[in-house]
Amino acid sequence: MTSSLNNPVVTLEQIKTRAPSMRGFLALLVVLTAAIPLLFVLFSSGKLSLQQWTNLWSNRLPELLANTLSLAVLVAIGSMILGVSAAWWITRRNFPGRRIAVWLMVLPLTIPTYVFAHIYTIMLEQDGWLGQLWLYLFPATAIPEIFNIFGVTLVLVLAGFSYVFLLVRDALSRSQQDVEEAARIHGATPWQVFWRVNLPMLRPAIAAGIALVVLHVLSDFGAVSMLRYQTFTLSIYLQMSSRFDYQSAAGLSLVLVTLSLTFMVLERFFRNRQRYYGSSQSKKITAQKATMFETCAIWFWLGLISTFAFLLPIAWMLSWSWQAWQQDLIDTEFWGYVSNSLTVSALAATLTVIAALPVALYHARERSALSQGFLYLSNVGFVLPGPVIALGILSFVIATMPAIYGGMTVLALAMMVRFLPLSIQAQESAVQQLTPSIEQAARSLGANWYENLRRVILPILKGGMATAWVLVFIDTLKELPATLLLRPTGFDTLPVRIWIEASEEMLELAAPASLMLVVGTLPVLWFLMREKSPN
Amino acid sequence: MKSGITLVVLMGLLLSQYAQAASLVVYSGRKDQFIKPVVAEFTKETGIKVLLHSGSSTSLLNKLKLEGDNSTADLFISNDAGNLEKGKEMDLFLPVSQTIANAIPQNLRASDNSWIGLSARARVLVKNTNDKSADFVTSVFDLADPRLKGKLGITHSGNESYIAGVTVYMASAGKEKTSQWLAGMKENIDGKVFNKHSKIVKAVADGKRSVGLVNHYYIYRHLEKHPKAPIKIVLPDQGANQMGVAWNVAGIAIAKYSKNKQDAERFIAFVTSEKGQSLFAEVNSEYPAREGVPAAAEVPKAGSYKVAPVAMPALGQQRNATLDLIEKVGMP
Repeated sequence: MTSSLNNPVVTLEQIKTRAPSMRGFLALLVVLTAAIPLLFVLFSSGKLSLQQWTNLWSNRLPELLANTLSLAVLVAIGSMILGVSAAWWITRRNFPGRRIAVWLMVLPLTIPTYVFAHIYTIMLEQDGWLGQLWLYLFPATAIPEIFNIFGVTLVLVLAGFSYVFLLVRDALSRSQQDVEEAARIHGATPWQVFWRVNLPMLRPAIAAGIALVVLHVLSDFGAVSMLRYQTFTLSIYLQMSSRFDYQSAAGLSLVLVTLSLTFMVLERFFRNRQRYYGSSQSKKITAQKATMFETCAIWFWLGLISTFAFLLPIAWMLSWSWQAWQQDLIDTEFWGYVSNSLTVSALAATLTVIAALPVALYHARERSALSQGFLYLSNVGFVLPGPVIALGILSFVIATMPAIYGGMTVLALAMMVRFLPLSIQAQESAVQQLTPSIEQAARSLGANWYENLRRVILPILKGGMATAWVLVFIDTLKELPATLLLRPTGFDTLPVRIWIEASEEMLELAAPASLMLVVGTLPVLWFLMREKSPN
Repeated sequence: MKSGITLVVLMGLLLSQYAQAASLVVYSGRKDQFIKPVVAEFTKETGIKVLLHSGSSTSLLNKLKLEGDNSTADLFISNDAGNLEKGKEMDLFLPVSQTIANAIPQNLRASDNSWIGLSARARVLVKNTNDKSADFVTSVFDLADPRLKGKLGITHSGNESYIAGVTVYMASAGKEKTSQWLAGMKENIDGKVFNKHSKIVKAVADGKRSVGLVNHYYIYRHLEKHPKAPIKIVLPDQGANQMGVAWNVAGIAIAKYSKNKQDAERFIAFVTSEKGQSLFAEVNSEYPAREGVPAAAEVPKAGSYKVAPVAMPALGQQRNATLDLIEKVGMP
């Protein structure tokens, strides 16, 4: 964070004038592309009359706000409980199967929210696995209903708590022993240490994790539309698709964007105020060996979480995939969907990583209000729901460059806009290591811009770029709403097929597609975990 | 350097237009399993390849509208006359020539032939044969009776068949009565709506509900799998001064910017032919739109009962009014 700030920005004249302006131009280009959907939203909602605004305001907004915010709060609480508890036990206790436990807590990331929603809907039916179990255990009471706020919360917590887990685990494994020891010396009980020392120090990580989860909740399309829970995103989608009312959809999107932005600014504000520094000499915490009782308790809790978040859904997918296999339903068409999905994800990941580079570099070098503004603008993909991004990109491309419409370009472009923030964040820390002096040194030794890029910049950025690529790949693989609208004619991907089969109740066909999503994500997830592994 | 060039070339290849074989592009909002046999037979007869782009009717219509003259679509198929009429209102279709359109009765197509009905479904009641508590129900409006509290099964109000049904009732009985009816049903569902028609039929068969409002073919689909299920079909509103059963049609239209109008018409000629009609309707126990082509044997004969005299185009023209009404009542 501080390295580039400490560096004097006095550089050679040529670097100062040539390089940044080139970077600035490219960054501007990327940011403008990313801002297309936002411009579309501003433009379309600008056409709403005062009367229409009043109607939206009084008819739709109170309910949508209440629904969306209460869902966000419930999901945040749920994810925090699961994520923090799991991260705490895994970093602080050494118990058998600890490495497997880490994996079990991360694997739910491979299952998209709409798959969770679909599977739990079916499992909770009378003849579903959980439905039967429930009737066996409590024959007198009805099976709990999933088509309500608690059902949606369950699905979104299971699909999202891993983000909190990862961030908190990272923070915990970096936290230092001396503070805790000092507290203990002054007579604090372990519980007091947790509440008054650990928890406050974890606050930034928890806040970041929850921010991620909440932003996912605000923009989630799959789960809420399968479970028909009216949030902003679902209402925007319905406004568009069943009434062809793009202006009201844009109006609602504008409110949603404001909501998300407020939330992001607040989160950043609190995070910036809470920074803790430790000297690099201080001792890192080592995990204590768990007692027998602790081991049992830990595994009971983690086992419970992963049963619902991963093992049960996977068992369901395997069982129905097996049926599909036996009925010869897995044919060349199915492998076509797999290859389409992989192609589009690889393409989008590559494009997004390259596009993120100038923005991240520009900000790392400039640190100006302008570059900060670029960074904020590039977050459009995080705050606008997928259907609106797709609508914005589609309208823009059709209006300005219809020649590129119809191919995969538009789809890849939309994915880039959606996942640019992810890619920039992943590359940010690597970019910060690239201080001007390094480049300056290379140039003074006679390297031209290309050599500089190839032999100095790229090697330093490689790690961050790889992580970014992986993250975007996974998210594109799971992406549904934008793909639904923008895929080329007859081009079906796995999520699209899951969507279609699920609405036709073809369980045998939705299962193998879901399974392939998990399998497709595994190698990249493995790579990511290896990178991140704190050991 | 070399790897850089390879990368650029690869990207270029990937980004280049998704290669498209010369074929008829059909945006289809009908279930894959129902449309595929029809398409296969058409290709077999004519040699014309068909590229199916499946999705929900409404989102495909949105796509068609947004794409404008850049659309690759030649045909649009929807399960709901409301959607088809909406497409006509937004000027997204080309009228089909009169000779082809003549195969289908006038009340099942657009006034200017810009869409053609292919198969009809009836909005009916499903009752449990062992449960006498819903015996008094003979009209859909009886579904609002407080005696049915907790015993009624309906879909959520995003369902296109449900919306179309409400439109027909609104056109026949007026806004006021329909609004009260919705409010009454809202009390009766006890907070639980179904996300699929098939689940309503199942709930009625299992005795969890006494009566449900569904499309007729869901009942036969259930009976096909469970022939002994204790369910029966009841055609509502058959009394002398009652409105009759609500119908809705699935239909087809030629996309306005089709570059292949001739083949598109050939496809329509095929699906409106006797053979095409029985293929299209039979897989789903629907009524073929063409007169003289019989529906599946188990289905109540068309013409043997009273159908609400609401022209199909009204399903599109009145849809926003229906949506407003549903939203105002706050149906889930």
